[in-house]
Amino acid sequence: MNPLRRLARRFRFLFRRDRVETEMAEEMRFHLEQRAADLAAEGLPDAEARYAAQRRFGNAGVLRERARDTWGWGWLERALKDLRFALRQLAGNPGFAVLAIVTLVLGIGANTAMFGMIQTILFKPLPYPASDQLVRLYRATPQNHNGHIAPADFLDFQRASTGLGEVAAYTPANASLSEPGHPAEMAYAGRITANLFALLGLPPQLGRSFRPDEETPGRDRVVILSQRVWLKRYGGKPAIIGRTLRIDGEPHQVVGVMPATFNDWRHLGMIDFFRPLAFTPEQAADRRGPLLRVVLRRSPTRTLADVAGFVTDFGSRLAKDFPEANAASSWRAELLPNTIAGKSAWPMFNMMIALSGLVLLIACSNLANLLLARTMARAREFAVRGALGASRLQLLRPLVAESLLLSLLGGAGAVLFSLWFRDYMAVRSVGENGEGVMMEIGWPLFGWAFAASLVTAVAFGLAPALFALRLDLNSTLKSGGRGVLGGRGHQRFRQALIVGQFAVAMTLLAAAGVQIGGLQELNNRRTGWSSEHLVTGTILLPAATYADADKINAFQHLTLEQLTALPGVASASISSFTPFLTWPDTRRFVVEGRNRPEPGKEPAASVNSVSPGYFDAYGTRVLAGRAFDARDTAQAPKVFIVSELTARALFGTANPIGQRLTQVTDRNPRSGEIVGVVADVEPADTDLNLVPSQIYQPMAQEPRRMNEIAVRTTGVAPSVLVDSIRTTMARLDPDLPVRRLQHADLTVERTNYQVAVGRDIFAGMAVLGLGLAALGIYGVIARTMAQRTGEFAIRLALGATLGNITRLVLASGVKLALIGSILGLLGGIGACRLLASMNPGMHMNSTAVLIGTMLLLIAVALLACWLPARRAGKVDAMSVLRAE
Amino acid sequence: MADKHELLPGTLDLLVLRVLTRGELHGWGITNKLEQLSKSALQVDEGSLYPSLYRMEDKGWIEAEWKLTENNRRAKYYTLTRAGRKQLETEEKLWNRTSAIMAMVVPAT
Repeated sequence: MNPLRRLARRFRFLFRRDRVETEMAEEMRFHLEQRAADLAAEGLPDAEARYAAQRRFGNAGVLRERARDTWGWGWLERALKDLRFALRQLAGNPGFAVLAIVTLVLGIGANTAMFGMIQTILFKPLPYPASDQLVRLYRATPQNHNGHIAPADFLDFQRASTGLGEVAAYTPANASLSEPGHPAEMAYAGRITANLFALLGLPPQLGRSFRPDEETPGRDRVVILSQRVWLKRYGGKPAIIGRTLRIDGEPHQVVGVMPATFNDWRHLGMIDFFRPLAFTPEQAADRRGPLLRVVLRRSPTRTLADVAGFVTDFGSRLAKDFPEANAASSWRAELLPNTIAGKSAWPMFNMMIALSGLVLLIACSNLANLLLARTMARAREFAVRGALGASRLQLLRPLVAESLLLSLLGGAGAVLFSLWFRDYMAVRSVGENGEGVMMEIGWPLFGWAFAASLVTAVAFGLAPALFALRLDLNSTLKSGGRGVLGGRGHQRFRQALIVGQFAVAMTLLAAAGVQIGGLQELNNRRTGWSSEHLVTGTILLPAATYADADKINAFQHLTLEQLTALPGVASASISSFTPFLTWPDTRRFVVEGRNRPEPGKEPAASVNSVSPGYFDAYGTRVLAGRAFDARDTAQAPKVFIVSELTARALFGTANPIGQRLTQVTDRNPRSGEIVGVVADVEPADTDLNLVPSQIYQPMAQEPRRMNEIAVRTTGVAPSVLVDSIRTTMARLDPDLPVRRLQHADLTVERTNYQVAVGRDIFAGMAVLGLGLAALGIYGVIARTMAQRTGEFAIRLALGATLGNITRLVLASGVKLALIGSILGLLGGIGACRLLASMNPGMHMNSTAVLIGTMLLLIAVALLACWLPARRAGKVDAMSVLRAE
Repeated sequence: MADKHELLPGTLDLLVLRVLTRGELHGWGITNKLEQLSKSALQVDEGSLYPSLYRMEDKGWIEAEWKLTENNRRAKYYTLTRAGRKQLETEEKLWNRTSAIMAMVVPAT
């Protein structure tokens, strides 16, 4: 027969079952009536004829059942029946059902949410077409594996690489954005080569890209806005094209708006607007300033290996031709999709997945325990059913159905939990520029939730089911209605589950603990400076208004004068960097009068240009010599102040004051005298490219446009001064926005917000794990209590005190928690080590955390055992014994 | 009544198909026919005919249709399909071979 027709008929049996059943019944009734009529004709009385007909026919119900099996839907019907039965079972025991489902939702939910987040960040493709043709170039130095590229080297490469593909470059270049009627705003901006958007394959959604002729200074006053700024600041009106904005105090014409997809923080970051990259002849000849991020789209005829080989060769050629700048550097190419911001967080993501797996593990073992207890409580029922001839399969089915149902509900709940997590993260994790945790709720996530729920069903549904099957019918039936104490095997299994839970909880808590402690240390790290009464803010002096060193000096001088004059201000300073963030300006120095080391091997130090008053304002102690003061003008002899570490590294125990340093540069080597030694400062961020030696130079002798203002107040709360500082700055230059003008503590905290998001996730999982473990031990102790009531009553009758009983119960629980915690110590130490190696910028004191974690765990276990144990004391011995 | 005889497993299909070669019949009619042909020697739960019928219908060997009997009652009539005839041939061959082998091995009494 045509298989399609056969299938069609089977579906008829499935969906029009009533009709089919009626027909079946009618057909059989017809047969019975005919037979009865025949027998009646032979002379039997009517009633007897009917019975005889039925006897000869056999059991109609069983026959219909067999008929139904023919159509192949028996399994479905049985499955539905099992499910219905499971639903009724759950509904009949709502306490158990809620506990089980909540446990599952939290366990699978935490896991699914982590999966969703990580999967989206790591595997959501970048918004560029054919992104496997895109390659990012790096200049690797001993300090920085992912270094950027100097303009002259870029231009050389661009010329050399024709035929290989197209090359573009971009660089972040923050700028102030102002227009009449709006307060000036400091914007994250970028400068790009005209071909960048075309190369990436993502043209502006409105207007046009830059033209090559706009890559010349003077013609570069055009701007392409991001969709975000266009919507936020200009209301998303198309009339924006052609409008003039003031950027860095100069008029710029808007020529385009980028599409929303472009704001993918994983690659370019959240940039507000772009301007063309226009090199002055001086910049174009610069081989020192690693300024540019370079991308290449290889032509389809060239392989990635071609490109990588070419890039490496080019790098070694540079090292040979320009050893001064490139002796220690090499070039390398990497596939652009592999360079996205999230990739570097792989270890952290692995950690999160692993920890959420641990939460799930605790949830699973909790459920195994819950279900096992339930199965044990129903042991008599199973035994009776087994005795009545139910097969093992028939006994197993409802148990498996129940756990399947639970895990399906749990999986659905986990998806809801993920939705909540996404919305929460959308608020919690978003930084100043809209970058944040990305999470797409889609098929991969559903798949994960379902797979996790299925695995869970097997893990915790099977264990109790297997126990149920191993029940000894005879002894169960004989043990009476009390339920089964559970043999030694069962007891031990449950105890092992509890020990395992506590071991896992210990690991979770330790990981969260070091993360919390590490972040706290980071946020409170004030090595070498003090944030008390300190207001800081950032200003960027636009090149148009502050064209030369004199103008910058004059402005800074005036600013400091006016800020210091404000009531309540103790001291004020301007510097290129603050002590709490890593100084990205690393330079090399040689000590005058010593043999010069090989190029590229000279001692390196982070350099900060600071105004007089800097050390006062930040509270950095001057250990020897003097601080900078009014003497150190642009015309005065060049001077340096070194940090303690630098002094020790360069001069050992000798007195550094009066020694001379020469800064290694290819153009104008400057030598200066060391006039002071100050305390070391340690940045309060997790930057990895940290050069611990620090050298200060007077701001006047190398004026910078990027300025950090610091104002130390006296007698006034810092927050009170914020407004008057802002007013003062606006009076000095209305085009000048001050970013993040606030108490320094807030800025430090804000800097580490990503670490804080990670900490919150870790802490959340630890709390989940701890809560689930506590619930687990509580449940087991409470159940053991209930089962041992008789024993306790006998003990009481024999003269045990209430205290004895309570202690007995407490001891049995706490012993398990203790064993678990000690086992978990290993996992905890491992997790701490791993986290410490992942966050070299953080101090993670694991010993204190591990001890604290263990104490916390034992305290929680004590509490969870004490609650049921308290009830043990209230056993009424007489009534219990009588009930026996 | 003659000695009742248990049906060999798997042979009911063959008997039903054979009976249906003479034309369409309802379940009751098939039962009667089998009784008549076997001279009431076969001992079968009459009802077990029905699962067998449904199974053969499902396999496409027979087709069913609701019709009125001579007495104006609704009944489900079964007809042999082409596939059913082929199946009958196969089963008859198989049966003949089996019974021939049985006859060779088991001496007639």
